[in-house]
Amino acid sequence: MVDQTGPGGARHAASRRNFLKAGLLGGAAAAASAGMARAAGDPLITEVQDWNRYLGDGVDAAPYGKPSEFEAHVVRRDVPWLTSDPVSSINFTPLHELDGIITPNGLCFERHHGGTAIINPADHRLMINGLVDTPLVFTMEDLKRFPRENRVYFLECAANGGMEWKGSQLNGCQFTHGMIHCVVYTGVPLRYLLEEAGVKTSGKWLLAEGADASAMTRSIPIEKALDDCLVAFKMNGEALRAEQGYPLRLCVPGWEGNMWVKWLRRLEVGDAPWAQREETSKYTDLLADGKARRHTFVMDVKSVITSPSPQAPVTHGKGPLVISGLAWSGNGTISRVDVTIDGGRNWQPARIDGPSLSKALHRFYLDINWDGSELLLQSRAIDDQGLVQPTKDALRAVRGGNSIYHNNGIQTWHVNTDGVVENVEVS
Amino acid sequence: MLKFPKSAAVAVLGLTVLATPAWADGDAGAGEKVFKKCSACHAVGDGAKHKVGPELNDVFGRTAGGAEGYKYSSAMVAAGEGGMVWDDTTLTGYLANPKGMIKGTKMAFAGLKKDDEIADVLAYLRSFSQSEAAVTPAAAAAAVETEVAPVEAAAAPVADQAVPAEAMIVEKSQGAFGLGRVATPDEVAAWDIDIRPDGTGLPPGRGTVAEGDPIYAENCAVCHGDFGEGAGRWPVLAGGHDTLLKERPEKTIGSYWPYLSTVFDYVRRAMPFGNARSLSDDDVYALTAYLLYLNDIVTEEDFELSNENFASIRLPNEANFIEDGRPDEPHYAKGLEPCMTDCKPGPVEITARAQIIDVTPDGGGDENAGGGID
Ligand code: HEC
Ligand code: HEC
Repeated sequence: MVDQTGPGGARHAASRRNFLKAGLLGGAAAAASAGMARAAGDPLITEVQDWNRYLGDGVDAAPYGKPSEFEAHVVRRDVPWLTSDPVSSINFTPLHELDGIITPNGLCFERHHGGTAIINPADHRLMINGLVDTPLVFTMEDLKRFPRENRVYFLECAANGGMEWKGSQLNGCQFTHGMIHCVVYTGVPLRYLLEEAGVKTSGKWLLAEGADASAMTRSIPIEKALDDCLVAFKMNGEALRAEQGYPLRLCVPGWEGNMWVKWLRRLEVGDAPWAQREETSKYTDLLADGKARRHTFVMDVKSVITSPSPQAPVTHGKGPLVISGLAWSGNGTISRVDVTIDGGRNWQPARIDGPSLSKALHRFYLDINWDGSELLLQSRAIDDQGLVQPTKDALRAVRGGNSIYHNNGIQTWHVNTDGVVENVEVS
Repeated sequence: MLKFPKSAAVAVLGLTVLATPAWADGDAGAGEKVFKKCSACHAVGDGAKHKVGPELNDVFGRTAGGAEGYKYSSAMVAAGEGGMVWDDTTLTGYLANPKGMIKGTKMAFAGLKKDDEIADVLAYLRSFSQSEAAVTPAAAAAAVETEVAPVEAAAAPVADQAVPAEAMIVEKSQGAFGLGRVATPDEVAAWDIDIRPDGTGLPPGRGTVAEGDPIYAENCAVCHGDFGEGAGRWPVLAGGHDTLLKERPEKTIGSYWPYLSTVFDYVRRAMPFGNARSLSDDDVYALTAYLLYLNDIVTEEDFELSNENFASIRLPNEANFIEDGRPDEPHYAKGLEPCMTDCKPGPVEITARAQIIDVTPDGGGDENAGGGID
């Protein structure tokens, strides 16, 4: 296996609160076994444990099950300084703690602009109006009588990584890349609903609107609406979570998360885009020359190593090390992910494991034998359209430092000899 | 958990609040000044109506979340259902630290830091409350759990929704599935309030800069600042001219937004924050005119904006918006075969580190860092 040495000589080891967890644990275990004179071996094995003797809770202890209490740290987190008020804010998916490609419902990051609307499905309506033969109103019950589809899609906020445009800032992939989640949606193809109302030939754009206190609105080209959009009411098999738009949300596969209007209540067909606040003031990409791009819908090919990462340091020392990460593209599937451990001098293809679905997260691994030297880890994804994930410098060179949105640049993690990981940029 | 004081029981005797000795130390006159911090969101006195927050007449003795016709957060409703009633103790706790006491309250107010300010504003509010009689011993005994989960939405009043079905002629969909029904023109008009840059969708109406000034002061300035400069971290609405090329661009209506229609549309659909759809169309015209004035796009205070002259107003940055040009960027070239070995000359150097800035939550620092998400 790979056994490459890290760059440079000995670097001053940053001391961190999470340093050497492995060492501490090892020490404790040694002390414990030293006290055990009569049994040679791990007391967790040689002694009968409580959970092995006493009964646990019965079946009804938690009618809706929760993760183990030992997983209590696996939660969404916010960055308070980012926004003015928690009611119009964002929190982040703990990517460093997850594996596979599906995000558990309770860990899907949240972004809303007027708080979580609480809507009784019996009170929810979906209206279609504008350039249609017949303006229609559907109840949730009506919607559940259309043919359904199940699709796995990632949803990424266009601002994911936005804080990193000017340089590395946040120490953790939860914060640098956590505005993403991937679940299986159940819903009705949007096409069926639009056809039911009858889109006029002059209809070129669709406005989707939410029922929350921000009445979120986005313009979507009609070709996309008739192609793969879904009107979803389930995620991962259960009803949408309130914070994900219960009882109804729009899925716009591969396109920026803000367009996936939650609490979806209205679809209007028109002949031009509406230039709503979320497509002018926000979600437009300011370039170095003062021009601003609008309608930057597609989320580009991208990847990140989720472990090791600053919140998931290497605690086990030298030897076998699993490097694991996520890759995705709004254009389709991921055909290859390359990983480097020397900051981009040499690369090797990683192993993609699990389903490879269009516009969904892909899980990759690189299993190495760590020699204990410093590492500069990066991953680089290539999608089925042949698009290659660029470096952050390549992005800055063409767009400048103020674009905020659509940062799909390559991420670097520095692993020091103690296994502590830091978000860095490299030459 | 909140404990209700014994003194609350005094109220059962029907004593008027002004006569309650235990709390007589606040100064209502000074409280009137303190109330300026509240008046952007709350009205009190003759004819007071709900604004961003509920009107505060008779707030003493009111069950938390109990004012009619105001839409509270589910946390506030739950607190009321748990038995919480506004009196000196509960109000003091809430005003000192709103979110600390009622987790999930939507009152976007940091709290009053000085005890005498709280006592004074309560003395002032008390002069608009008839009695404290609403507190019964039973309610007082009920210990309130303030961190209750959101209330079942199903508990919402049924009366609000059922009515139209009777009166309406329901026309079935003629589509392939025959599902859904035809939307009535009134229904479409109620929800279809979007406006396009060419003015499509504008309702008839008018308002001047001078008329917008007091509406803005009352409904918007608490968050967006007297001159649109933004209070604290609330969004900036004016200024920022010639900053788009700078290190930290300030994107405002005047410096960045391409179209005026977006201002009208957004304010009407989503502002004031926490009390959306509460402004009349004329109010929104006046506010839009006032925001033009704050941004130096119009200069006369008697400038009147209406559905007739609306489309003739252009914002300065309109020409700088272009379509998505990403596919033309060099790294978008398809089928590039990326380098796999010896891709960089010497050993790779670290050029920037997150720990230097350290703005990660729990990371030690908490300064406002560069960049943002929206
Ligand atoms: C930025 C707007 C804002 C400001 C400023 C503000 N409030 Fe509020 N207030 C609200 C909102 C919104 C609610 C409703 C809270 C909920 O439903 O959770 C509220 C609720 C209340 C309630 C509960 C009323 C009820 O009917 O249950 C009281 C009392 C109150 N505010 C007093 C004050 C006082 C006194 C001040 C000034 C010191 C103040 N507020 C400042 C927005 C504000
Ligand atoms: C309680 C605080 C509050 C009050 C009061 C308030 N706003 Fe806002 N305003 C906000 C917040 C928060 C946002 C951003 C919402 C989001 O994140 O989507 C905002 C956004 C805006 C924006 C868009 C800013 C941008 O750059 O995109 C405009 C315009 C605006 N408000 C106008 C108004 C007007 C006019 C009023 C008065 C009628 C008002 N607001 C009252 C908090 C407030």
